[in-house]
Amino acid sequence: MIDLEKRIGPWSLRVWGLIANFVGNALALYGAAGVIRDGTRWPLLVIGLLVTALCLLVLAVPAPDLENDRW
Amino acid sequence: MTDAASQTAHRYPIAEQIPQQVLDAEVQKLEGLRRQALPLRLAGYLKLGGPGFMNAALTLGAGTLTATMLAGATFGYRLMWLTWVAMGLGVFMMMAVARFTCRGGFAVVEEQNRYHGWIVGSLMTALVGTVFVAVTFNFGQYSLGTHLMESLTPLLGFEFPRQINWVLYMGLTSWLVLSYGRRAGRGARFVETAMKVGIAIMLVCFGICLVVVGVNWSEALHGLFVPWLPPGGPGLDLFIASSAAAIGVMDWFFFNYAGLARGWGRRHESLARFDIIFGLFIPFILVNFIVASVFAATLFQQGTQPGTAQELAASLVPLLGPTWAPVLFYVGFLAVPITTTVGMSIACAMALHAAMGWQPDTRSWRWKLSALLPQIGFIAVWYPNPIWLIIVIGAFLALTNNIVGWSFFLLLNDRRVLRADRSRSYLWNLGILLQITLLNGVAILYIFNRLGWWA
Repeated sequence: MIDLEKRIGPWSLRVWGLIANFVGNALALYGAAGVIRDGTRWPLLVIGLLVTALCLLVLAVPAPDLENDRW
Repeated sequence: MTDAASQTAHRYPIAEQIPQQVLDAEVQKLEGLRRQALPLRLAGYLKLGGPGFMNAALTLGAGTLTATMLAGATFGYRLMWLTWVAMGLGVFMMMAVARFTCRGGFAVVEEQNRYHGWIVGSLMTALVGTVFVAVTFNFGQYSLGTHLMESLTPLLGFEFPRQINWVLYMGLTSWLVLSYGRRAGRGARFVETAMKVGIAIMLVCFGICLVVVGVNWSEALHGLFVPWLPPGGPGLDLFIASSAAAIGVMDWFFFNYAGLARGWGRRHESLARFDIIFGLFIPFILVNFIVASVFAATLFQQGTQPGTAQELAASLVPLLGPTWAPVLFYVGFLAVPITTTVGMSIACAMALHAAMGWQPDTRSWRWKLSALLPQIGFIAVWYPNPIWLIIVIGAFLALTNNIVGWSFFLLLNDRRVLRADRSRSYLWNLGILLQITLLNGVAILYIFNRLGWWA
């Protein structure tokens, strides 16, 4: 199972995932602005929604127990 | 260490005033309630709950009610679904806060400072998200509260202009605020009871007004369960803003600290969850439903769309018929700013102490001054709301609320913080992430609007 608490650089994977979700949200809204205004930027809207959905589905995975955990 | 004390990892200073035998007795009562039949258990929880009602009273303020009245007057019943969807999403995060309080036993700003830095904890959560909001938004409560008293009193046969009645508003709210934490914890229970009474007044008074004007139940049910938004960009704006406004940083912060102030521990988690549903969620939905319905049945039918809460109330009152119905409307409406001022002021004092690392002592001058800081809002009696300040705070809030949401989500899932009590539920995490995504949307739209990118 994916361990989102694993550190990659300064932050954990979960933090990177939240940042990726934010980027996906921004892409989706930028695309939506174009679609609402003049029917353009459909690809950006779709990509943004896909990134958002993927991030939400992955980030919702709870942190697994570690073998050396002694709760 | 006694049983109850062992349930709370760190005692919050306000809770230290509560005698240990009182905390132990409450835990025993909760244990007893678990074995009772459902109606008795609900009644017991209703009596023991409190922070959730405080949150409802705080959230149901001048801004929320104005938005609800405008939605009813402009769109009729059609936007009613938005209230429970928005508040429903917020409940996931509130459950996380209940976990921090009851099982973590920690004050959230301290943990944020430790793991995510003081910019996220002390600055974004305590100062910007709570203190600045309490001070700034109390101008609106004063403006509405004093106006309502001025409008109500002629119906009772005397004049009480706002240039004078603000003294009564300040006296009443200050007395309630300063009662919190007094007399070995009984002060907190007293203020919580006052908040419950305030919400009951809103429900009864607005409810009677609704009976007077009537409800179109088929349209109301359609509005409650069939989503609808105004078409185009404004519809999306409205959805995101309403969703984010239902529950925000101040609510999360306040529920954590108010629970700690009650001495809540591990065995209080079921009570905390009950308090979120029956103290916050249901009263919020009911009050919004009733108020929106009153305006949908009156001003919407007439096509009248005033812009402010004062104008909305003034336009509605002649449509309520006999004198007693307008009186009830004004009394119910008056409970809105009063309870919000009280809740925000206590939150302000807690947040200022958390941000500065001060030990909260409700008998100290520092606590009293912190709690009375939002009373500066009395200036609104003579001057309009400080629009520039509201714009600045609104900008900070739009850009920081989502970061605070990220921080809470990370704490809930952090092995170092909650150990075995961290979130183990995929659906719980997903619910919180949906709310975070909405808060992200608010921040992004704010930037897009400034850049001229949003239609």
